Amino acid sequence: MSSIAAAIGFMRRLRAGLESGLELPEAITRGASALPRDARETVTRIVERLEGDYDEDEWGFDEGFTELVEPLFGFLYDSWWRVKVTGAERVPAHGRALLTANHAGILPWDATMISMALQREHPLPRYPRFMVLNWAFDLPWISAGMRKVGGVVASPFNAMRLLEQDHLVAVFPEGVKGTGKPYSERYRLQRFGRGGFVEIALRTGSPIVPVAVVGSEEIYPKLADLPAVARLIGAPYFPVTPTFPLLGPLGIVPLPSKWRIEFLEPIETASYGPEGAEDRALVLELSERVRGEIQQALYANLVGRGPAFI
Amino acid sequence: MAGRRVLITGVGSQVGSLLADRLERDPDVEHVAGLDTRRPKVTLERTEFIQADIRDPEIGGLIPPLGVDTIVHEQIVRQSGSGMSPRAMHDINVIGTLQLLAACERVTTLRTIIVRGSAGIYGAEAHAPQFFKEEMARLFPLRTRFQRDVAEIEDYFETYARRHSGVSCTMLRYQPAIGRGLRTQITRYLSQPVCPTFMGFDPRIQLVDIEDALEALVAAVRNPVRGAVNVAGPGTIGLAKMIRLAGRRALPIASPLFGAVTSTGQRLGLDNQSEDFQRLLRYGRGVDTRRLTEEVGFTPRVSTVQAVESWAEHAKAAA
Repeated sequence: MSSIAAAIGFMRRLRAGLESGLELPEAITRGASALPRDARETVTRIVERLEGDYDEDEWGFDEGFTELVEPLFGFLYDSWWRVKVTGAERVPAHGRALLTANHAGILPWDATMISMALQREHPLPRYPRFMVLNWAFDLPWISAGMRKVGGVVASPFNAMRLLEQDHLVAVFPEGVKGTGKPYSERYRLQRFGRGGFVEIALRTGSPIVPVAVVGSEEIYPKLADLPAVARLIGAPYFPVTPTFPLLGPLGIVPLPSKWRIEFLEPIETASYGPEGAEDRALVLELSERVRGEIQQALYANLVGRGPAFI
Repeated sequence: MAGRRVLITGVGSQVGSLLADRLERDPDVEHVAGLDTRRPKVTLERTEFIQADIRDPEIGGLIPPLGVDTIVHEQIVRQSGSGMSPRAMHDINVIGTLQLLAACERVTTLRTIIVRGSAGIYGAEAHAPQFFKEEMARLFPLRTRFQRDVAEIEDYFETYARRHSGVSCTMLRYQPAIGRGLRTQITRYLSQPVCPTFMGFDPRIQLVDIEDALEALVAAVRNPVRGAVNVAGPGTIGLAKMIRLAGRRALPIASPLFGAVTSTGQRLGLDNQSEDFQRLLRYGRGVDTRRLTEEVGFTPRVSTVQAVESWAEHAKAAA
């Protein structure tokens, strides 16, 4: 209850500040004095970032900001989605590696939960960089926020450069086909493109770590698609879910399904050499193998998890 | 490599003047000539100054007698403004290049052409890879007039290089330069009382320090390679951070209103922003500089963040 009272106090002071002609960052700082001390600190640090006081790498990844928003993702992780993780220790602690996962929905909640899983469960936590559907980078706030927590435009060139710099990179080879999956087809993996992620792994000699995410495909149950509206706003598709667009912006609140994330045994690729990337047979074979392993793990975890929402 | 004879076009520009000064002191360079309508910005000892307009066909008679083996084409205008119409800018860039290449046909001693081109050819795109490589120039449609001009210039040089296998053409694709004494779109933008930004966007910007911009030209003269080479300082900087380092305030404007607000601002005497620059402020652009390091053998020393910091220090001291 006290947290609600604090939030109301914050909003009151924020409004008073704005009405008395303060600029937004100052008004937020003043409003924050109504909050408990740790929350006040968080708000102050977000304001500093709004004013350009931050340090990031050449990709725009801002570790300080990522730590800052961790409580929010922690809430989703612990209470909302009740994530259970297996196999986190299989993710290499150093050097390049390519996490390959199933994917649904336009917003990369699954990528952020994979990142949280590594922070919580990995013996030597590291932040993965993840490929985000291009469309998101045309949106205000989302484009900026996404970059700060490690998202980059989904492009093979970005993935290659990140791996060459020995980062941990997460890709979702189902691509747009995965994001636009109807609810009835949840957890049925789409085609893995032309196996581009395998080519990238072979070129850079990175191990592929298949990841099966159960839960992420129930958070926005897509019942129908309105292609005309999608074309109008330039989106890849316009979903109709039980809550969207019925409840307006509230419809982007994801449903509280129960999650399981399983990291599978890494598949080594370095022994094939970079020239393996041009061997069609090898690329398609590895791609099918990764897809098969993820699909199998998805079914096993679905059975293990039981009902989706309880 | 001794006994080089070099012609610099656009010797009256900041970088052109500094390059002439730098080459004059190079023992391997026997002769330096500079072509421009404007006089060089620094006092030059032994540079032969040729006062002529690059758009004028008369340069076809002026250049061949110089007997140069190297031409550094620096006369490319990167921004309208400072009293220059977009039309004049297009003329200098495209017609000037054509006249120069026409003159080159009659320079039998020519071995090397270095062009100070622009990374503007890549544009600024929401869906672009974060670092463009040289082969990615046509990944997206050419959207602005300047982009189309740069592409046309590159096409002319490519055709020329194909016809003359004995001449190596280096197309240096520069990110915007920043540095002491330099007046460019970036420095004008950062000198305004408020800097308009696209609300909710914090693009990654990449710049090159003026010293590195100069050294890259010198390195290319020494060690010319064929084709395009990106030039930029290491790393990138977020726009919000850049504005903060410059000691300015951002003025966030909702994207649909940006054009209207800034053109009103222009009428009130604020700086105008070209279409290219506006796209840069929204989406940013980075380039991959491995070819510069590995093939030309030059690695820029000043990072993008350091370049902004040192410019801001000088700007503050001057104010």
